[in-house]
Amino acid sequence: MNPRRVRAVARKEFLHVVRDPLSLLMALATPVLLLTLFGFALTLDVDNVPLAVWDQSNTPRSRELVGRFDGSPYFSLRMNVDNYRDLVHAIDSGQAMMGLVVPSDFAEKIEAGRNAPVQLIVDGSDSNTAMIAIGYAGVVAEIYALDLTIEQNQRRGGPSLNIPLDVRPRVWFNEELESRNFIIPGLIAVIMMVIAAMLTSLTVAREWERGTMEQLISTPVKPGELILGKLAPYFVIGMCDVLLAVLMAEFVFHVPLRGNVALLFGMSAVFLVGALAMGMTVSIVTRSQLLSCQVAVVATFLPAFLLSGFIFTIANMPPVIRAITYIVPARYFVAILKGIYLKGVGLEILGAQAALLAVYAAVMVTLARISLKKKLT
Amino acid sequence: MNDYTVVVENLEKRFGAFVAVDRVSFRIERGEVFGFLGPNGAGKSTTIRMLCGILTPSGGSGTVAGFDIRTQPELVKTQIGYMSQKFSLYQDLTVEENIDFYGGIYRIPPEKRRQRKEWVIEMAGLTEHRRRPTSILSGGWKQRLALGCAILHEPPVVFLDEPTSGVDPISRRRFWDLIYEMSDRGVTVFVTTHYMDEAEYCNRLGLIYRGELIALGTPHELKSETPRSDGTLPSLEEVFVSRIEARDRVEQPEREVRR
Amino acid sequence: MFERVKHMLIKEFIQVFRDPRMRVVIFLIPCVQVMIIGYAVSTDVKHVRTAVYDLDNSRPSREVTARFVRSGYFDVTERIGDDARARELLDRGEVSAVLHFQHGFAEDIHAGRTARLQVLIDGTDSNTAGIVAGYAVKIATAYSKHVLIERVERAFGPAGKTGTIKLQTRAWFNENLESRNFFVPGVLMIVVALSTLLLTSMAVVREKEIGTIEQIMVTPITPAEFILGKTVPFALIGLAQAIIVALLGVFWFEVPIRGSVFLLLLATLLFLMNMLGTGLLISTFSQTQQQAMMTTFLLFFPAMLLSGFAFPIANMPQVVQWITLVNPLRYFLVIVRSIFLKGVGLEILWAQMLPLFAMGIAMLWLAVRRFHKTL
Repeated sequence: MNPRRVRAVARKEFLHVVRDPLSLLMALATPVLLLTLFGFALTLDVDNVPLAVWDQSNTPRSRELVGRFDGSPYFSLRMNVDNYRDLVHAIDSGQAMMGLVVPSDFAEKIEAGRNAPVQLIVDGSDSNTAMIAIGYAGVVAEIYALDLTIEQNQRRGGPSLNIPLDVRPRVWFNEELESRNFIIPGLIAVIMMVIAAMLTSLTVAREWERGTMEQLISTPVKPGELILGKLAPYFVIGMCDVLLAVLMAEFVFHVPLRGNVALLFGMSAVFLVGALAMGMTVSIVTRSQLLSCQVAVVATFLPAFLLSGFIFTIANMPPVIRAITYIVPARYFVAILKGIYLKGVGLEILGAQAALLAVYAAVMVTLARISLKKKLT
Repeated sequence: MNDYTVVVENLEKRFGAFVAVDRVSFRIERGEVFGFLGPNGAGKSTTIRMLCGILTPSGGSGTVAGFDIRTQPELVKTQIGYMSQKFSLYQDLTVEENIDFYGGIYRIPPEKRRQRKEWVIEMAGLTEHRRRPTSILSGGWKQRLALGCAILHEPPVVFLDEPTSGVDPISRRRFWDLIYEMSDRGVTVFVTTHYMDEAEYCNRLGLIYRGELIALGTPHELKSETPRSDGTLPSLEEVFVSRIEARDRVEQPEREVRR
Repeated sequence: MFERVKHMLIKEFIQVFRDPRMRVVIFLIPCVQVMIIGYAVSTDVKHVRTAVYDLDNSRPSREVTARFVRSGYFDVTERIGDDARARELLDRGEVSAVLHFQHGFAEDIHAGRTARLQVLIDGTDSNTAGIVAGYAVKIATAYSKHVLIERVERAFGPAGKTGTIKLQTRAWFNENLESRNFFVPGVLMIVVALSTLLLTSMAVVREKEIGTIEQIMVTPITPAEFILGKTVPFALIGLAQAIIVALLGVFWFEVPIRGSVFLLLLATLLFLMNMLGTGLLISTFSQTQQQAMMTTFLLFFPAMLLSGFAFPIANMPQVVQWITLVNPLRYFLVIVRSIFLKGVGLEILWAQMLPLFAMGIAMLWLAVRRFHKTL
């Protein structure tokens, strides 16, 4: 390995990057844009579920129940209907996500001390939101029932009652349950994976397509030198992206950074090397830009987005898929970032994840090195 | 009879402040082999691109095969064949697939298309390689195939932009035979070149330098205009070198004085 | 016109499919995506790993714990005896919730005072944490109600029977609330969008980059013919991918398809107009394939996130919701999900089809306009 040759390749590659300001701009603007989007616009929190009510009872009792739903932050009453057809249309067209049907004998049954059924119809197509909304509806109904019990007891002149059990959920690491606090560290991982692969997946394929590779492989440059030289400038860009992302998380979104900053950048560097080398391996093997970019997308974007634990909890996946997630480097990086950001833990707990990330980087660089042959096909 | 297929009047192309082609005028007769010479960057390719209708002139006018290059570029395109200095056929397509593709694009009737295809394959000497991708062909083959695809539809005017650069002398010789054949059949051939021996083969020559046409005439005329001091005719190379030097003196007289 | 387009098509197909790896990629991508999403995507929160830190160890505390387990949402994996262990388990992510009963829990309940239960929840995934907190409140409230009713009935006898409400919940369109029924139709949109965008934008730029476009420019081919030749092959590929995804979804994952297949096809065509138009437009701005790819991604990523695929649009800030109105992915996603799950037809979906059609025409028109035939 000759440092001068590595430097020559790196300088050439760097010039390519600088001479193509559009691509450079995009490489730097993408993380900023995506973080902004996620930070401000995207949330998995469910509130103000649009509600349609068909109140057949229309009594103070039933109106109180409806008021309980509308008054909670989870539901917002969008319309009152007075027939089944309108209710169906409201849900079919998505104007309402939930329909509450109060039967005409609702109040009578309550006063008579019997159970009064209330029908709740949910648009289940978005199963996640539906499930959360059903959970909230359950809470609203239970609290209402509890209050009914206390009220009826008082009316009969019973002893004053305290609520027997008060539950205090205390959320650790993210006290206000800000979804941005967990989305942003995860997002940094996803963005880095995609950007890294995008940056390198075309570099070698482009040289083959343009014929400049022929010139390069006729020189005494060694494959290892070529790979190192090509990685260097993209590594610099990637680290700039990390810096931008961390700065935005800190100053724009105020995501608490409780752990060690040096560890954060160190782990990002390890992850970046692995991701860049993976993109380059794809580029080397395919030798075609069109093919390379398709493969890179499937190999990076999807797993990083779906199988990293970023949005979808790995513990809930079936065993086969869970096994697959172990070869997705973003999985480790997401865990590390969340650990450093929210839990403030260090290598004593993240050691295994860090080691696996390093192994991945080493394997990918080796793969790139092996697959780069200085021969024409 | 004034049977001009290419007429250019004060043709001009500017890219911002840079004048690539500066008020060039010439006429080319039907069946003529017109050589367009000049150093790199003198404006040869720009002129050809304007004549082919893929670059709009900034000023002046021109007609090719009777159609105005400014207002009727699409009609011009039905009358011409063009071969660029870079090989621009699809490398990942085979010889036959490339020919079929251009046959379809030029809308040659099926019966005629089969006949033309065989002609091109035979002319280019690719009978044995008809099913090979063009990426593996050598320079001479690629060049003849590119010419074949450019004249598949038998256009009356053909523009060849440095067709023989990077090709061996024997292939070059064969290529010029093809040019003469076309010319004999009444096809007008507009060719740019660097090679002085090729310039000798042309019926008429134009010399372009820094966007301006600085010489126009048959090889013999050009030589006679600047005889050597001993009265013998100079070579074309000498003619051009002296013309270009004369031009430089006009443009930069002060440097001459200081020397 | 037809003749030239036909030969453009033949040429494009040969180029795309000559490389056997490309063939694999084009048909494998949709399959891989459906498989991963069909199996991996589950937002259900069940079996939350829970540690119990019970300092009271009384009958009521055990009963409350049992109620948590019976709900199916909580799995008790460990019983612990001190604060430090709770901290450690949460730090390592080995449990996501800790039930913490203080001394005197039973005493409070028996005395009719309010007893306190603390539930510690790992908030690194705020979505899950919120759901878990909701479950905890619901279980605790139900327990309270149970205790109170018992108490009231003891005081008044049978006459003290309290009326209460019973929620009968029915989920329409997706009775078992299967996540995959929600996400698999969405994959159809993602697959079609991504591959047609990338293929179209890169295929045109490739001709620029290699120089073959110059030879085409000097032929009498019209811009319309060239554009048709460059888009129709990718439209067909996109359509084929959509069909693969739909078949896999219906036959492998048993996602119901309740609406008209014909309408789905029509909507897919409208959507393809948008994607092809955008792809072409990108190609007119890009000089290299790398630029085309990056631009495509820069557009696709936000478009996907703002489509409602994973994040509900209704929860976004108002300004962002307005922005999504010009996102063709959003409309197509609503159409696809509605046709698959709700089985509704044009009478409701016209509101999505119309903007999709209008934007498709606008995009194609813009692309054609910018597509100068002269260099």
